[in-house]
Amino acid sequence: MRAGREFPQGGRPGGLLRTARGARLLVLVAVPQLDVPQTPPVYAQEGPAEIVDRVDRLLRGESSRGLVAMRIVTEHWTRSMEMRIWSLGTDHALIRILSPQKEAGLSTLKAGNEIWNYLPRVDRTIKVPTSLMGAAWMGSHFTNDDLVKEHQLIEDYDVEIAFDGVRNGVEVWEFDLTPKAEAAVIWDRIVYLVRVADLMPVWARFYDERDDLIRTITWSEYRTMGGRLVPTLVTIEPADKPNERTAVQYVELEFDLDLEPAFFSLRTLRSRDR
Amino acid sequence: MSSRFPILARLAVRNLRKSLRRSLLTGAAMVVGVGLLAMSRAFAEGGHEDWIESGVRIGTGHIALQAPRFYARRTIEHRLGPDEVRAVLAALRDPTLADDALEVAVRLELQGLASSAAAAVPVMVNGVEPDVERRFAELDTALEQGRYLEPGDRLHAYIGVKLAERLDLELGSRLVLTAQDASGEIAAQLVRVAGIFRTGLPEMDERFVQVPLETAREWVGTQGAATSVAVLLHSSHRVRGVQRALLERLASHRDQIRVLTWQEAMPALEAAVKMDDFGDYVFHVVTLVIVALAIVNTILMSVLHRTREFGVVRALGLTPGDTGTQVMIEGLVLSAVSGVIGIIVGFAVTWLFWRDGLDFSGMMGDGIRGAGVMLKPVFYPQFTPRVLLQSFTFVFAVGVLASLYPAYRATKIEIADAMKFEE
Amino acid sequence: MTPRAPGHGISGLFRRPWWRVGWRNLGRNRRRTLFTASGLAIGYCTVVVMSGLGRGMVAEMVGNGTGILSGQLQIHGLEYLPERSVYETLGGKEGTDVAALVDRVAGDPSIAAAAARVYGGGLVSSGDATVAASLIGIDPRREPEVSSILGTVYEGTQLTEGSNQLLIGREMAIRLDVGPGDEVVLVAPAADGSLGNDLFRVSGMFSTGLTELDGAVALLPVDALQELIALPVERIHEIAARVADPWAAPDAAERANSWLISDLVEAKATAWTELQPEMVFYAGLFESMEWILLVIIFAMAVFGVANTMLTGTFERRREFALLLALGAGPGLILRSVLAEAIALGVVSLGAGALITAPLMFWWHEAPPDMSWLYGGYTMAGGLVRPVLRVEYPPEMLWMAAVALFVTAVLAAIYPALRSAHTPPADTLAGR
Repeated sequence: MRAGREFPQGGRPGGLLRTARGARLLVLVAVPQLDVPQTPPVYAQEGPAEIVDRVDRLLRGESSRGLVAMRIVTEHWTRSMEMRIWSLGTDHALIRILSPQKEAGLSTLKAGNEIWNYLPRVDRTIKVPTSLMGAAWMGSHFTNDDLVKEHQLIEDYDVEIAFDGVRNGVEVWEFDLTPKAEAAVIWDRIVYLVRVADLMPVWARFYDERDDLIRTITWSEYRTMGGRLVPTLVTIEPADKPNERTAVQYVELEFDLDLEPAFFSLRTLRSRDR
Repeated sequence: MSSRFPILARLAVRNLRKSLRRSLLTGAAMVVGVGLLAMSRAFAEGGHEDWIESGVRIGTGHIALQAPRFYARRTIEHRLGPDEVRAVLAALRDPTLADDALEVAVRLELQGLASSAAAAVPVMVNGVEPDVERRFAELDTALEQGRYLEPGDRLHAYIGVKLAERLDLELGSRLVLTAQDASGEIAAQLVRVAGIFRTGLPEMDERFVQVPLETAREWVGTQGAATSVAVLLHSSHRVRGVQRALLERLASHRDQIRVLTWQEAMPALEAAVKMDDFGDYVFHVVTLVIVALAIVNTILMSVLHRTREFGVVRALGLTPGDTGTQVMIEGLVLSAVSGVIGIIVGFAVTWLFWRDGLDFSGMMGDGIRGAGVMLKPVFYPQFTPRVLLQSFTFVFAVGVLASLYPAYRATKIEIADAMKFEE
Repeated sequence: MTPRAPGHGISGLFRRPWWRVGWRNLGRNRRRTLFTASGLAIGYCTVVVMSGLGRGMVAEMVGNGTGILSGQLQIHGLEYLPERSVYETLGGKEGTDVAALVDRVAGDPSIAAAAARVYGGGLVSSGDATVAASLIGIDPRREPEVSSILGTVYEGTQLTEGSNQLLIGREMAIRLDVGPGDEVVLVAPAADGSLGNDLFRVSGMFSTGLTELDGAVALLPVDALQELIALPVERIHEIAARVADPWAAPDAAERANSWLISDLVEAKATAWTELQPEMVFYAGLFESMEWILLVIIFAMAVFGVANTMLTGTFERRREFALLLALGAGPGLILRSVLAEAIALGVVSLGAGALITAPLMFWWHEAPPDMSWLYGGYTMAGGLVRPVLRVEYPPEMLWMAAVALFVTAVLAAIYPALRSAHTPPADTLAGR
């Protein structure tokens, strides 16, 4: 990424805040999930948009709770975090850092379009102002903005099948997503690779208007967790920093919990023991 | 003394003609002084009007109508609703005001975030009416690439060159604007870069985006609303009058609409212009003193030379007041004649050589930032009645001041002493 | 006043040195001399004072533009500018012996003081209000010697080393609704990737008059900021230095760069003239205005002086005629009139200096506060406060003196020529 996130004059921690933009937190808080065993592919009759939407819905899920290990590699440092996440639809999410010790308890709440951080060290909650929505979330390659975007892919993009066949021994669809005329999205093109057999996403590549690759999200290590097939490793890599990446590894996952929207409140955010 | 005035005047004029060379030299000092003054007033007037105009055009106009707390808060919560906007526009259409108002621009100003695939930068987004704004803010003159917004544009944006660099944008690029909408939610809007401008002002080139007004209204869900209605007047001297008139006409909306003058909205600009004015006045007073001294010198000499003559006329029945008046008239006539010539010469030279502007671009480049305004490197003189009046006041002041002492001396001449006086 | 009988004999005129001739002629009509000399003296005074005012404004602009925070000279890591990445510290990733480097910088003869700084970006939050801010770590002991921002603290107390305190600007204080003693939360992405956050106490508020500082900058002790953003103490972003004469900064930067290179320190010194070229240009514009003013003022004075000289020589036309009739050459008369002009110049300059000196001194030492007339504003990026202080313009002092003499002599040429060509017979006959 060229320019960093915006902080007022001076001290803009370059690499730290440089981030690939626009990935959804969904890749973080809501994993693709599919009841297994699945019926064999019957999607052939469906159009590409419907298929992408189906994958997209899988990626969004209903309610979930999980344990995640995040590893961030940048030019200047490398760090690992463990965190617990809760999600309900696309409107609500709560993330609580468990380790490292220094940041244990640090939490982020997404409620609608707002993002709040809870800082246990000082026992305060802070709402992230609009001007910092573009800044990196916890030093990762996700931005705060990534956490709040909740439009469905097919609302914003037109979908075409660019490739339909076998690659590396797996039958895949490669979708070409181009933004609809007035969609408020920054990408000019997304290429999306999905396995035909189980609709598991493989990777998504994000391009700007010069058709330069800006970043890549890769899904892998498909396993059954909480009774569903999920890609348990999600990696995001900015194209202009080949040595930087953020990897999200799912350790535990449960689905269809009895979560209420009221759970995603500032009060829950502040309570230390959940 | 008044009965003798014509005679005294004739005596005075005759005297000036008698010592023509001296009168001419003194007059020349006056011509140069007043000429320079006229010239500098014309340029100062032009320069300041220009400075103020650039400031108000790019800023809030000579007069800005806003919701009471918008000036301090700058958020969309403090906006003029459709009713207020209508009331303001109706008031401005009033025949008594329509003559003063040159342009009326309805604007929706939003603090937001501009994002591209490359980065995200906080910006100030202005929803504007392209055809009005082309004549108002004149940002189209700073165009570097592409084109300015046009009526009928929808998803078009006019952005600064530094913003384009930071977001890595070109003409036609996607740009996503995010801001808080009327209900407090964050709303995003896609626009495409139609044109890129360069003003030389960092805060504009880095932080300013213009989009069509209707696009902005739709985006944040405020149909018919505005954060300010900016009014550009024909002359900055009419600001107070128009403010009063607007306050009167909008009395029923007193709690919803605030009428700000440019001085209130842009205090730094006012300070800079005042400071510059102050420097000019100091210079003028000094010029006045120097020219006055030259004239005092001439008249006083001529009085002392004519001690004997004055003695004689006094002996013939003129009062001290009469002789004083005669000297006073001499001074005033000399000042007036040379002063008027000076004014004419000053304006004529200015008009002949610099009516198309005095160009400093060799020295100043594209201009210089002053009080948040880009000062153009070309200065245009202005010949307003005010400038003329100031120049005449100056001439009159010099004449009176320079004649007072010699006239006083003339009244003090004793007949007896004067007769003894050897030339 | 009784006019004197003309001359003390022709022989006297032949023998006396020129300056005494000139002086004596001036004395013939003291009142006239007084007026002419005052004109020239006021002209001199004007040029000097107006130049002084212009320099005062430029000094104000440059002084504030560089002095409030940035300093006249800055030393950064080679890659720090223009991106200002938090990782680009002085001396690379290992950092440097900060105290030694600061002392070395301050050792330059034209550098008055130097201090280390650390920059970070983050959020300052109190209650419901949160603002994005530029966090600047300063050395509470050394910083007052370098910049003036700490001098603008209008409420509360200064920072203490090693404590979680901060100073914020007036506008930020209003937006956060806090005052001295109140606690705020600072959140800043740290250099190790973590999210630095801690409680800080507002020790005081500053007010510089510049929105970008008063609304978006928080100052904290350098060690407290280093801790917050996880930088070890030997890693700093900047050494800012005060150069007493701002115009000496480019040379000081050059000297600093030569020893930085020879000492193999990975750092580069930059003078304000390089960072704020617009101000340099504006100062140049003001200087050219001084010359225009000089020409204008003395152009007016030429006519006044010529007039007086003409009157004076006209009065003495019989004397000149007599001299010529007695065989004196026209050159002698020419010289005597020019001598008078030079004597007038001397008198005027003396008078000019006499009125200028106290005025300049007073205006320099006790500048009038103009805030009743106008507020502060920025010019070419530097704040100009409503205070009119004059700065001494050394070369204008003697340039204006030269101009004064040139004026007096120029003005005397025509009267002198006329006098030298007085027709003796006609004049003596009274025709």
